[in-house]
Amino acid sequence: MDNIANLMHGFEVALTAHHILLMIAGVLLGVLVGVLPGLGAPNGVSLLLPLTFSMDPVSAIILLASLYWGALFGGSTTSILFNIPGEPSSVATTFDGHPMAKQGKATEALSFAFLSAGFGALCGVVLITLLSGWVANFALRFSSPEYFAVYFMTFASFIGLGGASPFKTVVSMGIGFSLATIGMDSVSGNVRLTFEYDVLLAGVSFLIAVIGLFGIGELLLTMEEGLKFEGVAAKVRIGDVLRTATKLPRYWLALARSSLIGIWMGITPGGPTAASFMSYAMAKRSSRDPDKFGKGEPEGVIAPETADHAAGSSAMLPMLALGIPGSATAAVMMGGLMIWGLNPGPTLFTDRPDFVWGLIASMYLGNIVAVVIVLATVPLFASILRIPFAIIGPVIVVICFIGAFTAANREFDIWLALIFGLVGYLFKKLDYPIAPLVLAMVIGDKAEDAFRQSMIFSQGSLSIFWSNALVGTLMAIGLVLLFMPLIGAGLRRLRGQGETRTV
Amino acid sequence: MITRFWAEIGTAILTLAFGLVIVKGSLEFGIGWDSSGPQPGAFPFYAGGLVALASLGTLALTFGKRLAGKAMLADAFLDAARGRRVLSFLLPLVAFVVLSVTLGMYVATILYLVFAMRFQGGYGWIASLATAILTAAFFYFALEKFFQIGLLKGPLEPLLGL
Repeated sequence: MDNIANLMHGFEVALTAHHILLMIAGVLLGVLVGVLPGLGAPNGVSLLLPLTFSMDPVSAIILLASLYWGALFGGSTTSILFNIPGEPSSVATTFDGHPMAKQGKATEALSFAFLSAGFGALCGVVLITLLSGWVANFALRFSSPEYFAVYFMTFASFIGLGGASPFKTVVSMGIGFSLATIGMDSVSGNVRLTFEYDVLLAGVSFLIAVIGLFGIGELLLTMEEGLKFEGVAAKVRIGDVLRTATKLPRYWLALARSSLIGIWMGITPGGPTAASFMSYAMAKRSSRDPDKFGKGEPEGVIAPETADHAAGSSAMLPMLALGIPGSATAAVMMGGLMIWGLNPGPTLFTDRPDFVWGLIASMYLGNIVAVVIVLATVPLFASILRIPFAIIGPVIVVICFIGAFTAANREFDIWLALIFGLVGYLFKKLDYPIAPLVLAMVIGDKAEDAFRQSMIFSQGSLSIFWSNALVGTLMAIGLVLLFMPLIGAGLRRLRGQGETRTV
Repeated sequence: MITRFWAEIGTAILTLAFGLVIVKGSLEFGIGWDSSGPQPGAFPFYAGGLVALASLGTLALTFGKRLAGKAMLADAFLDAARGRRVLSFLLPLVAFVVLSVTLGMYVATILYLVFAMRFQGGYGWIASLATAILTAAFFYFALEKFFQIGLLKGPLEPLLGL
C-alpha cells in the first residue's frame, strides 16, 4: 500500500513540536472564530492567510486547516448552548441541540456533537487517504478540455443542486468570474476591465470578497435581527463525556449514513451546510419516531454534526487532487496555496508529496486535537459570548477591516470590503448563494485558461468538449446536474401520468 | 418600509447593470478570434452576459410572481425598527472606514470603539476608553511588532513617536 507508506511519511512531517503547537493555536483560533457571530471558517482563513505569507507552506496549511476544524467545532458549541449557529453549517444542530441543552442535558448534547463530528471528520480523512492518490493519478490524464469540463460540472451542480433560484446562482457565479478577469490577463498580457482606474490594475482579491461578503454582510444581518445571547451554562466533566461516548455506538446507523451523505456533499461542491441539512432530514424521515425530532433527540444532533464534518474534511479531496475546492473555505485555502506558489491539482502529489501527505496526516491529528480542545474549553468560549454585542460587534468589524488591509496593504481594499459587505447583506437577505461567487473568483483564471487552451486546440470549435469518452462523460454529467431540477420535475410528471392511467 | 418585491427588483437591476458594464468593458478587448486563440475580452464577455441574462430572468420571475399574487413578495424586506438597527451599526462602520483612511487604522479603532461603547452600549467613559486603547495596543503589538505588518497610519502616530 503506497498510500499507507506515504501517510507514515506525512506523520513524520506533521508530528513535530512546532506543528503540534500550530495545530493547537489553529484550533483555538478556529473555535474562537466559529463561536463569534459574523466570523466563520472562510473568514477566519482569509484573515489569517496574509500572516502566513512568510511561513513555510506545510506549516501554513496545517495552521489554516486546524483553524477550519476548530471553526466547525466552535459553530456547534454556540448552536447548542445559545441556539445561535456560529456557522451556517451548524444551523441544523440547533434544532435538537438547543432543546437538549434546555432540558439540562447540555453536556450530553455537546459530547454527542463533538464525538460524532470527530467521527465524521475521520471518515472523511480516511477517504482522502485511500482515494486521493488514485484520483490524482486519474486526473493526470486530464488536459485543458477535461479541466474545463470538471469546472463546468462544479458550477452545474451548484445551479442544479444548490436549492437557490438557478438565476440567482448564475448571477452570483457570473459576478465571481467577471471579478476574476479584472486586471492582468495572464495569456495575452493585456490589462482588462480596469475602466481606467489604477486601483483595479492588480485585480480584485478573493480575500477581500470573502471578508466583506461573509464577515461584514453577516454582521449587518446579525444586527438587524437584534439578537440576544441567552445561553445555557455548561460545564463539561470527563465522566459525562465518557458516559456519552459509550452511548454513541447505539447510533451506528445514523453515524454511517450521515458520514456517507457528508462525504458525498463534500466531494461534490454541495458543501457542509447542505450536507448537515440533508442528513438531518434523512435521519428524521427514516426514524421510527419522527415526532421526537426538534424536541431534543440525540440523533438530531449526531446526524447533522457527522455530516457537517465529514463534508468539511472531504472537501479537501477535490481541492488537493483536482484543484477544485469543495466548499467556500476550501476555496480560500486553495487561493492560499496558489499565493504560496503551489499548484493545486494532480501534479502537487508528485511535486510536493511532503506537503500533501503532511497535510493529510495533520488532518488526523488536528481533528483529534480539536475534539480534546473543544471539550476542555467549552466554558471559556461560552463566556466569550456573554460579552455584550456592543463591544464584540465593533471589535469584529475592526478585525475584518484590518484583515482586508493586510491582504495586500492597499487602502482601496478597505473600501472594497465595505462594498462587498453591503452586497453580502443584500444577497443573503434575498437568498443569493455566496459560495459560487467565491469559488468562481478563485478558480476563474484557471477555468478561463482551460477554456482558451481548449479553443486553441480545436481552432474554436466547441466540439472538443465531446471529442473523447472522458471529456464527453464529464460534460454529460455536468449537463445532467445542470438540468436536474427540470429532469426531476419531468420524472414526477411522467410518474403522475402513470398513476392516473392505472387508476 | 421596503417590500421584498422592490428589494428583489432593485437588486436584479443592480446585477443587470454590473453585467452590462462587464460586457461593455470586454468589447474593448475584442470578443472574437485572433491568431493566438480567443481574444482577451471573450471570457469576461460571456461571464458578464450570463449575469445580465440571469438578472433579466430574476426580473421576469419576480414580476411573474407578482402578477400571480404571491404573498411572499409583499412581505417586509426591511421595516423601520430593523432599518434603524442596521443603520445604527452601518453608519459608525462607514465612519470607521473614512477615519481609517484619513487618520490611520489605530486612531480610527479607538474612536470607533469608544463611540460604540459609550454612546451605543451605554458604558462609562473609563471602561470605553480602556477597552478601546487596549484593543488598539493589542493590534499594534501583534501586527507591527510580532508579524512585522504595518497598518495604515495617519498624522497622529509620528507625533507619538510610533
